[in-house]
Amino acid sequence: MNFFSRFFKQSAPSISTEETSKNVAKERLKLALTYDRGGLAYGTIEQLRDEIIAVIAKHLDISEEEIEINFDSSAEYGKLIASIPLRVGGQRPRPSETSVVDATEKPPAPATPPAESSTSGSAQKTSRKRRHR
Amino acid sequence: MAGHVITVTSGKGGVGKTTFSANVSAALAELGKKTIAIDTDVGLRNLDIIMGLENRIVFDLVDVVEGRCRLPKAFIRDKRLSTLHLLPASQNRDKTAVSPDAMQKICTELRSMFDFIVIDCPAGIERGFENAIAGADEVIIITTPHVSAIRDADRVIGLLEAAEKQQIRLVVNRLQADMVRRGDMLDIPDVMEILAVDLLGIIPEDEYIVVSSNRGELAALQSTPSPAGQAYKNIARRLLGEDVPIPPLGNSRGLFKRLASIFKSH
Repeated sequence: MNFFSRFFKQSAPSISTEETSKNVAKERLKLALTYDRGGLAYGTIEQLRDEIIAVIAKHLDISEEEIEINFDSSAEYGKLIASIPLRVGGQRPRPSETSVVDATEKPPAPATPPAESSTSGSAQKTSRKRRHR
Repeated sequence: MAGHVITVTSGKGGVGKTTFSANVSAALAELGKKTIAIDTDVGLRNLDIIMGLENRIVFDLVDVVEGRCRLPKAFIRDKRLSTLHLLPASQNRDKTAVSPDAMQKICTELRSMFDFIVIDCPAGIERGFENAIAGADEVIIITTPHVSAIRDADRVIGLLEAAEKQQIRLVVNRLQADMVRRGDMLDIPDVMEILAVDLLGIIPEDEYIVVSSNRGELAALQSTPSPAGQAYKNIARRLLGEDVPIPPLGNSRGLFKRLASIFKSH
């Protein structure tokens, strides 16, 4: 399960799904760079994920396997984006996001679920812009 | 003459900045552009020895910065190519001897004297890096297809963006076609996906680079260029705005090998 795939434009298939060493390298790099760029301590996102699941599971019936928590460093102060599919009456949940939480590092503003922006294919360069400490 | 200042950096050491700076400067000079290569690795100079000019140093960058000589006095003009010059670093000081302001002033003066100013940046992101990028009009990042080099390149790209250096292009060095085909080396699409910066060129792994540096020769100046030499020449032409297509993986290398084996068997 790769939490970070959405923030990198996907390369052409070919041998990209095989467990070749270069594919392992690529996934490790994406993970390392997400943390490097965001200035986060390693493991923060995994910890956040577990805690968010625990809190939301108290109130809603959620599909744990399909949860995605991502740190998007393209926004000015960084952005934590959670995608949490809900179970509807026992049916298999579709990956459409029904609950999106946008937590920035600025003082809390009224939480409005923004339209989830897809990073597919478009100007990859713009997603690089980030704040450096 | 409004010179263009290009800084060659990487973050990671040993990925080929100096070899690139030397060879692309030579290729530009061979195309008729008055070019100077500057070594900013004060204390660990290498551009001189890669260019085969190590026994001609009289004055260096620190002498200029500290006012012991005027700028042109420190130039070494290459005897092979009158349009190619070197401004060497000093070997017995360190990077604190030079400041970003001093480099800005030197770049301003050099812009009126040269078409291209190629600044070889030291490894790291400290003072040497700040000195080297201060006067840059554009920055070329050198990386190899390895996790460590790519991670460092990413950090450098971030620092350059923060320093508002907008023109950033990437060169992937030491690519090995056979390893890429086996899935044991990151390929160009992988590197581009991760770093997300425009690609200037690809340089294949090439044993001749060792041979040329042993001899103080430049791969880009050989009459029958090796794969890396040809890649440097192509990059120089791209820097001049020419649209030189990037050859498919392994092509130039395979062709060179095949030609070499044809000539050997006769």
